[in-house]
Amino acid sequence: MKVAFVTPRYGVEVMGGAESAARQLAEHLVAECGWQVEVFSTCALDHITWDNVLPPGDSVLNGVTVHRFASASGRVPEFYELDARLRMAPSEATLEQSRRWLELNGPVTPDLVAAVGAGHAEVVAFYPYLYYPTVLGMQATSAPRVLHPAAHDEPALYLKVFDATFADADAICYHTAAERRLVQRRHRVAQIPQIELGLGVSPVVNGGRAGADILGIGDRPYVVSVGRVDEHKGSAMLAAFFTTYKKRHPGPLALALVGPKAAVIPDHEDIVLTGPVSEADKCDIVRDAMISISPSALESFSLVVLEAWEQCVPVMVNATCDPTREHCERSGGGLWFGSYREFEAVLERLCADDILRALLGARGHAYVQRYYQWPDLIRRYAGFLTAVRHRHDA
Amino acid sequence: MTDVTGPSDAPVSEPDGDAEARRYLDEVRRDIDDEVRRRRASGDLPPGIERELDQLFLAHSPLGGRGAALRDMLRLVDASVFIDPVVPVESRRPGGTTVKRGLRSLNLWYLRYVTHQVSEFATAVSRALHVLDAQVTDLRHKVDALAAPPSVAVEVDWAHHPAAWWVEPATAALITHGGRVLHAACGDGWLVDALASRGVDAYGVDPRHRVVRPRAEPLDLRVEDVAAHIGAVASGSLHAVVLSGVVEGSGYVERNRLLQGAVRCLAPGGVLVVHSLTPLSWEDDDAPVEADMAGARPYRPRTWLRVMGDLGLEATVTEGADGRDYLVTGRLGAGR
Repeated sequence: MKVAFVTPRYGVEVMGGAESAARQLAEHLVAECGWQVEVFSTCALDHITWDNVLPPGDSVLNGVTVHRFASASGRVPEFYELDARLRMAPSEATLEQSRRWLELNGPVTPDLVAAVGAGHAEVVAFYPYLYYPTVLGMQATSAPRVLHPAAHDEPALYLKVFDATFADADAICYHTAAERRLVQRRHRVAQIPQIELGLGVSPVVNGGRAGADILGIGDRPYVVSVGRVDEHKGSAMLAAFFTTYKKRHPGPLALALVGPKAAVIPDHEDIVLTGPVSEADKCDIVRDAMISISPSALESFSLVVLEAWEQCVPVMVNATCDPTREHCERSGGGLWFGSYREFEAVLERLCADDILRALLGARGHAYVQRYYQWPDLIRRYAGFLTAVRHRHDA
Repeated sequence: MTDVTGPSDAPVSEPDGDAEARRYLDEVRRDIDDEVRRRRASGDLPPGIERELDQLFLAHSPLGGRGAALRDMLRLVDASVFIDPVVPVESRRPGGTTVKRGLRSLNLWYLRYVTHQVSEFATAVSRALHVLDAQVTDLRHKVDALAAPPSVAVEVDWAHHPAAWWVEPATAALITHGGRVLHAACGDGWLVDALASRGVDAYGVDPRHRVVRPRAEPLDLRVEDVAAHIGAVASGSLHAVVLSGVVEGSGYVERNRLLQGAVRCLAPGGVLVVHSLTPLSWEDDDAPVEADMAGARPYRPRTWLRVMGDLGLEATVTEGADGRDYLVTGRLGAGR
């Protein structure tokens, strides 16, 4: 079978949930099913500017053929003014306004869209719903279209420009049941064939170093938050919560923020910002952490939560983020907080209770083993794509 | 289309001490909630700091913190009602503090007047919201007490299997149509499987985690509340809806909503198929236990004809040979 993925960024350098997920699915389809997989993407690495950084043209990455196209425009300054206006009542924005929002948000890629339309894939998967290549690419192809929304509860989900994107999909692949509920609250698409898949956890890379050594904090205990250090991802909130916690609970506990920096976090003696780290260092840091914290309210899956559980580390998540909270509720592998008071009470309890931490970590680990192993996921995904093609042919 | 093996389809009860661990974790959660309440009441954290931190939390919560309770939001409102007229005067420029202090002194009478009125307005709004919160809470309690029990899928082993008498005529009514067919409650997918094997594009929904299990062949089966699912289906997008084990267990209001929703989903010429127990079998000693818990009893055949007619369907009712169940088939006009 020949499958195409359309995603605005692609490559090993790309840090981003949806784009990384697309790459993992593409590579596993090649490796485990022997399918022909191609990707239509841009030359961008940055999802804000969409600057053309990588060379356009064709290349092969881990068995996947990648077609890159330069963007005609990225996110432009006028975007922010329009976004601020529309996000107050996004469902009230007109179709014209929301189309304008889509173009100003970038990446505007007419060449990519034309190539998708001229492609010969038997199924085309679009990942995520939010950008020009998906919205326009879905209209351009006659092949069956599988939408991977990677949606979270953000104002853009309510813009009218995405109505057709959801309604016209031939099939939908969700990360979690929470994502499906969210999308179905907004769009009447329950009749469309669909699957709740998620992502697999890659094997742990053991670097053999102590996490505290990598962080340079001696033998201090620490909690960790992995991912882009970004205000929108809750990093600034987590730093402020932790700073207040430490004022009220003096002691050696430290917080490690592991990932590229996209927000200003005030210097604090108990907070370590690592910047980007190797996979081995990341695994070592997570393995030795007391708790892994996911402060983001805007996740559609959150691989970092599952990666912590893979190493039996308990997690704390943002209570308003349905997918991560759903992971915790279903697995019994973590606790959640919906205010500073709850953050303080949960952190205090977890730090003081070794048995509880071990129980949560073990339950999270069992959940990952049961539901998020690649061979099983890719078997289900391949079966789903095959059925989508057959249904389209019938 | 695809099998269902995602985590949302996990069995409700798992072996090896799972229930015990769940109980313990529920207890932990309750302890944490109690601790939060106790500390909040003790006022051990200055309100300004707590407000600032909570606002930071809510700043990036989904659409203004939909997950937060109204009472939590009101706490933020209460903490923000006082508008301080005494503006800060710190400055990094030489003499800046003195200049700012002078300006503040000159304007303070004016700012006090304005901020006092704004604070009074905010206080009045806050009080009104508290009254509203109390009334909504009270109303919610009353509604909860009046609410019918949640609808359940009724288990009737003798009627919900491929060889049951009603399956063949129901299938015959369905295979004459192209288009997608929904079966609710689908159980383990027995009817979806039978329809798929005859070339029908069928999928199923069932609220019971424990009965929706993965099957060897790929089927599109989902664990979802039936009414919620139907509410999320696009109008006119299905060619048939089959309801079995669904209507008997629901109350009259839910039942009507469900049927109206199902009809809304049908394309012109579409078919609504309902399998239901008869009122007589509902009263039998061997009736499903849901019969005792349901908010209403099954309709009689002529009531079905009336209901389907009111929904704009041309209906027929076929009773089973032993009088225990019947099949209702309603067809929507092609020109709807």
